Amino acid sequence: MNHPLASYEKVVGAPAIQQLQGLGVRLANLRVTHVNSTREGGGVAEILEWMIPLMCELGIDARWEVLQGTSDFFRVTKAIHNGLQGFPVAIKKHDWDIYQDVNLHNFQRLQPVLEASDLVIIHDPQPAPLLGLCRRRSGPWIWRAHIDISRPFQPVWKEIRPVVQQFDASIFSMAQFAQLLPHRQFVIAPSIDPLSEKNMNLSAKELEAVGSEFSLDPARPVLVQVSRFDKFKDPLGVIKAYRLIRKAMPVQLVLAGGGATDDPEGQEVLDEVFDNAEHDPDIHVHLLPANAHRTVNALQRLADIIIQKSTREGFGLTVTEGLWKGKPVIGGDAGGIRLQVINHHTGFLANTPEGAAHRIRYLLHHREKMLAMGKAGREFVRENFLLTRHLSNYLTLLLVVFRKNSDRTIFV
Amino acid sequence: MNQFEIKDCTLLTRMSGLPPALNLRELRDRITRCRQSVLYHHFCETLLTPQFDYPDYRNDFAVWVKHQIDDNVLAERLGILDPYSFASLEDLRLLLLELIDEHLGELPYTPSAHVGHEFYFMEATTVAFDTGKRINRPEELYDAVIKMTPGSLYFHFFEARWRPPIGMDDFSAWLQTLTEPSVNVVKAFQSIDFSFFTLSEIKKEILAALSKAK
Repeated sequence: MNHPLASYEKVVGAPAIQQLQGLGVRLANLRVTHVNSTREGGGVAEILEWMIPLMCELGIDARWEVLQGTSDFFRVTKAIHNGLQGFPVAIKKHDWDIYQDVNLHNFQRLQPVLEASDLVIIHDPQPAPLLGLCRRRSGPWIWRAHIDISRPFQPVWKEIRPVVQQFDASIFSMAQFAQLLPHRQFVIAPSIDPLSEKNMNLSAKELEAVGSEFSLDPARPVLVQVSRFDKFKDPLGVIKAYRLIRKAMPVQLVLAGGGATDDPEGQEVLDEVFDNAEHDPDIHVHLLPANAHRTVNALQRLADIIIQKSTREGFGLTVTEGLWKGKPVIGGDAGGIRLQVINHHTGFLANTPEGAAHRIRYLLHHREKMLAMGKAGREFVRENFLLTRHLSNYLTLLLVVFRKNSDRTIFV
Repeated sequence: MNQFEIKDCTLLTRMSGLPPALNLRELRDRITRCRQSVLYHHFCETLLTPQFDYPDYRNDFAVWVKHQIDDNVLAERLGILDPYSFASLEDLRLLLLELIDEHLGELPYTPSAHVGHEFYFMEATTVAFDTGKRINRPEELYDAVIKMTPGSLYFHFFEARWRPPIGMDDFSAWLQTLTEPSVNVVKAFQSIDFSFFTLSEIKKEILAALSKAK
């Protein structure tokens, strides 16, 4: 469900909304097209779900197009995705052909929209070849990389680099994720929607119902990791940490996550997690449907501590969600988690299951620290990682990207 | 009477093109070569970027030196630097380099960060725009400040100091142009140790100064 801009006033205050309107006025009727590879599941789709209607409300002619791919295409793009994040993958020539062919097929469908757009924003590598296919562009094309490509698997980067370096600019979630490219590289951190089903306030009754549905004992601490079943999220490391904590404290662990239509590896990792859980009644593993936002919200709110023990991570929006719910977060020392989990302020970074177990035990014994961290984390998110700031960055980008000069201040 | 035009601004950060620094020598090298806009960003614009506001140090160099290369001595020396007290960013660069050189000379090794915790050299473009709102009389300033965005506060209270009249915030500059200048308010504004506050804290400071000067 989308919310009008005015409804965010109670969360971020009227001035922040007026600022967006002030920027929007200067961008009226600009035709902006976003292209990504999935309508649901994963952080990118969630961002576009709120961003497009809000851009439209501000007067921008914004649209969202989604690649139509085959299962083979998504297998290949998942491998590309993993390769760009540094994981060795085998992508054959035939696979690269599939990647190109599906983009060509989609281009034939999207050509009129892409050619008529004043600005096109391509999300992640899946639709990136559309740029080379679109000869009659009306304005700049920007590549938005949501993942960490700082240490890519070279054979994959060798294929992708010539594609993405043709863009007029790129956007990364953090400076640490970027590659040196011959164009302007902007940095825009992602965000969460505080009014979405995943982040809105829930009644105590609803939380109780979800707790009971998932057989959680309200008398014992709950640790929750919400994320796709993906090896980079290290669910097995989380189970190991849980076992170390269980030696001293009667905690419960929830590993819950959705699948995404562009992630065929999920089932494999999920099977491994089930095997590793060994039918322990206090390890609750749940593959949730992509639209189980309210359940995810409830699980995060039922948690005493949120875990996100990723070994590789994009920005880590599940961390942002956990902080917004006033919970301390134990995060892997990776990607955007570093930007959000500030040791002793909003949680702790951990490099190993042992480190995670140690910090969790410390926090469970120091409830006052947990409360203080939760409070600090929520305010940190309010000021920095809500969608209003994110939207403001995008509107600023739309005002900046058409100017070739790099003046420190521009008046619009 | 002159009206005060309330402006707002937003920031868009971008990579500077310089390679990141993993140790203090690399940091020094990049500081020598970076554009002034990079220095400006890490000293002044950090207030507007989505990052954790460490309460102890107000510039990115000091924060990195303290938290990533774990050098408290240099962090303290860098943390006290007030960019607004320099005649130019080149002067700031010179002192910054001098402090780092002096410290490197004191050490038998080069302090280094862990891989993945490098210092990234950034710069930004500020987009400023007129909100259409006006302040007609000094008495209206308090209510106007309450409703200002962090962007407006940054533009009028911090960024203003680099514009003529150099070193002065926009509110004070406006108040001084009035036929009956609010001397007490200007004095109160000038007594705010502004470089040690976040934007939400500075709003409270400005409001407190206005209340006190009434």
